[in-house]
Amino acid sequence: MNDHHQTGGSSPSPAEPPRTLLEVDEVVKRFGGIRAVDGATMKVREGTITALIGPNGAGKTTLFNVVTGFYRGDRGSVTFDGRQVFGEAPYEIARKGMVRTFQITKALAAMPVIDNMMLAAPDQPGERFRNLILRPDAVRRREKEVRADAMELLEIFNLAELADDYAGTLSGGQRKLLELARALMARPKLLLLDEPMAGINPVLGKRLLDHMQQLRQERGVTFLFIEHDMEVVMNHSDRVVVMAEGRVIADGEPQEVRADKSVIDAYLGGVAADTVAGEKPYR
Amino acid sequence: MSLDPGTIVPLAVTFESFTDVDFWISVGIIAGTYTIVALGLQLNTGFTGIVNFGQAAFMAIGAYTMAILVLKAGFSFWLSLPIAVLAAMLFGVIVGLPSLRLRADYFAIATIAMAEVVRLFAQNARGLTGGNQGLFCDTEGDTSVCYTNDWRDLSDSINENIVSNFWSNPDTLFPLFLVVWLTVGIAVVALSYFQGTPWGRVLRAIREDEDAARALGKNTLLYKLQSLAISACLGAIAGFFLALNLATLHPIDFEPLVTFFAFSVLILGGMANYKGVALGAVLFWVVLEATRFIELPDPPFTETRLASLRLAITGLLLIGLMAFRPQGIFGKREEMVIGE
Repeated sequence: MNDHHQTGGSSPSPAEPPRTLLEVDEVVKRFGGIRAVDGATMKVREGTITALIGPNGAGKTTLFNVVTGFYRGDRGSVTFDGRQVFGEAPYEIARKGMVRTFQITKALAAMPVIDNMMLAAPDQPGERFRNLILRPDAVRRREKEVRADAMELLEIFNLAELADDYAGTLSGGQRKLLELARALMARPKLLLLDEPMAGINPVLGKRLLDHMQQLRQERGVTFLFIEHDMEVVMNHSDRVVVMAEGRVIADGEPQEVRADKSVIDAYLGGVAADTVAGEKPYR
Repeated sequence: MSLDPGTIVPLAVTFESFTDVDFWISVGIIAGTYTIVALGLQLNTGFTGIVNFGQAAFMAIGAYTMAILVLKAGFSFWLSLPIAVLAAMLFGVIVGLPSLRLRADYFAIATIAMAEVVRLFAQNARGLTGGNQGLFCDTEGDTSVCYTNDWRDLSDSINENIVSNFWSNPDTLFPLFLVVWLTVGIAVVALSYFQGTPWGRVLRAIREDEDAARALGKNTLLYKLQSLAISACLGAIAGFFLALNLATLHPIDFEPLVTFFAFSVLILGGMANYKGVALGAVLFWVVLEATRFIELPDPPFTETRLASLRLAITGLLLIGLMAFRPQGIFGKREEMVIGE
């Protein structure tokens, strides 16, 4: 299940390229007449932290939704860990090891923090109704393990003391951490984070990034995350995928992408122009 | 329950029945029956976040299937019970498969429609259900075949052999009272157990945010179907008790009002708490029945007006409770959530 591969492979060496964990090929998602994702093709290599950037409306979140099964794509293919998952239900994809978080955190506010965590554990026989009657001992045994795993992760994220509090009482930043910790409980091979740094203070944002590095090293988790902050993207990711108008216009290492002319035109240029326009008082 | 405006009930009688044990046993049976109905709603609405307004349909299917199997197909009463439960659960799954994919509010609308379809079917399939005439005993020669016969025999022997030891002349409905509340006890214990398991945890996650549950690998439709099927099972059992209590079945006994009374019970007792449901049901029915004894001069307070006044008073009490304790008597304010 959780194969701990190439620990410590932070920057993949060009001599021995790591295998592709996620391959998105020519994915199309239309809403009425609008092609939100218009033939997007990209790869995520195992063991990397890959950033997905692009101007607003580029189709990043829509692509996330298609890849994780929350939207049904109109065309294309999504291969995860060697298996075709295009068109599968979200829960099937999540069980294969591709787990996502949401732009607006979905901490389950009316449940205690520890229940949020334990919910995500895979292989709990007690989630099948018949096992509650047929195998109550197995359920209890697994529940003990799950609780220990959950507490261990909560310790890492400095949330252990809040374990019995309702998640609704947590601060916005703590909820982001909880959502990341909870996603990890599901033992993902690939974690898709939709704007994990949005709406939290820079200090906590830095901690979140450190966690990502640490988890990649220690647990071999691969990350794909959507982010707007260019500095974060350039300094903390191994690969950068750039989307514009529903298509992937660049896919490479941060320095390459930074120098790519089409990226500067479509994204950086756009941002620069917006900023200038925004700073000028309207007359 | 039904009030005929033509008859004038002397006040003395109403006073007597206020202290009448038999009267309160009847109230207890109704309260227990509604507890079972509302326990299903608690599982659906309080713990899974699916607003089921069609519980009366599951009661109707339980009661009618049992009665029809006994009266028209010659089944034994005891065999008809599990079959009727399965029929209600199957119906829940069939209805749930398309409708549970809807958003919570649309699902609620779909369930009212489903319940009305069932009731109107019972009203019009006269050959099977007796329609508005009702479904009651068949007389064959000098013996009458009732769906209640087997139960009556057991009930009488409970009274003769057990109850008579401590109550010389027991009420005929007392065994039903016992069985209803025994069922309530078992259901509360079982449901509370299930709620504390990983399975129950998934339900609560769905209640709050179905997408979060799906993103964590939970097949949410399956859980919602299970929740609805268990609720249908409880509805069918409540339907049996209603049928045994009434001794005849009419489609009007399964109006949407039944479901809404059960929802009042649920809200009174508090969301996301099974024990509260029992207390809510007792309180609701004691208030509703005790208001029978309100005496006001006639005219202007005719009996029909008084009957309406009873509901108004019960409603006011509910509004008052909502104002001062919106989470109900036993509910947790932190867990007040209904799915979007």
